[in-house]
Amino acid sequence: MPMADDVDHGSDAGRRQPPSLDEFSKRLDAARGDGEAEKPAGAGTGPALGRALRVSSELLAALLVGTLLGWGLDRLTQAGPLFLLLGMLVGFAAGVRNLYRAMRNDAK
Amino acid sequence: MIGLKAAGPMDQFEILPIVPIKIGGLDLSFTNSSLWMMIAAGAIFAFFFAATRGRAVIPGRIQSAAEVLHEFMADLVRGTIGHDGMKFFPYVFTLFVFILVMNFFGLIPSIPGAPHEFHTFTPTSHLVVTFALAMLTITIVVVYGLMKNGLGFFKLFAPSGLPWWLYPLLVPIEIVSFLSRPISLAVRLFANMFAGHIILKLFATFVTMMIGAGGIFAAMGIAPFLGAVGVTMLEFLVAGLQAYVFAILTCIYLSDAAHAADH
Repeated sequence: MPMADDVDHGSDAGRRQPPSLDEFSKRLDAARGDGEAEKPAGAGTGPALGRALRVSSELLAALLVGTLLGWGLDRLTQAGPLFLLLGMLVGFAAGVRNLYRAMRNDAK
Repeated sequence: MIGLKAAGPMDQFEILPIVPIKIGGLDLSFTNSSLWMMIAAGAIFAFFFAATRGRAVIPGRIQSAAEVLHEFMADLVRGTIGHDGMKFFPYVFTLFVFILVMNFFGLIPSIPGAPHEFHTFTPTSHLVVTFALAMLTITIVVVYGLMKNGLGFFKLFAPSGLPWWLYPLLVPIEIVSFLSRPISLAVRLFANMFAGHIILKLFATFVTMMIGAGGIFAAMGIAPFLGAVGVTMLEFLVAGLQAYVFAILTCIYLSDAAHAADH
């Protein structure tokens, strides 16, 4: 260790030693790691409300897209309401798939 | 109250040009929506400029706030996309802060008597704005997914390891599911801000109407007033939450694009 460091320590001897940055960040990481381990995932009103708001629009958006695609195909092919009905079914299935995916992501 | 026009609940969403600009057939006017987006961007810039100016080891108040925000989003990005996802951190962080500040600034009461163009405006209460942000996210997802996985990106629509007869059923479902993402992203933010502001304005209008009616009705005006206070508090929660949901979904979609070829 160079002299300057020793002199610095000497002059600071009476006062509280400021910990080095490395040491501090190690302690910070440790504290943060503990905090996260104790916290149960997805608890609290905020995340729950967020999930509720999310889930409803996931289902609706997929249904909307499926129906619109079916309607568009009907107009292109003149196939009557065939693709509209199929599109609604596929859209609903996709919505449920969205829901499943959303809940799985949240549970992680 | 004198000289205050009876404003309907929809008036707050009206787009009003401040500096009319017309190029060709396009209306590129600088509107109240643009103004509030610029106010939001300016405020964010000022905040982070003030927060990062000191660069102290022991942060002051503003620096702490900025650091908490940064850590929060960094944890989210790292947790959802993984360590290599940190290259998307600037985008997700910017998106989050921009939406958050636009949502919050929309809750500031307008200055009484100010011209209508300068009333408080929430850009996120317009579907064009939220849809543009959602399309930006989805474009990044598609471009990055194709760049990283090549054609393997399309395995997103056809996960391997399923019996062959399931694919004709599953592929359309997955495609519709993917196409619904920008729409659910955009509509969710838009609908929440839009509905919240309408409810807020309705409650506030009830208060003035009941005070105007006088007598027993004026005393009963306390009920919608308390309602308006409650809705305002709820709106603060929703404003933060919707920005967070937008950011977290952006992360999830990016993570899907990054790992499309894996499954």
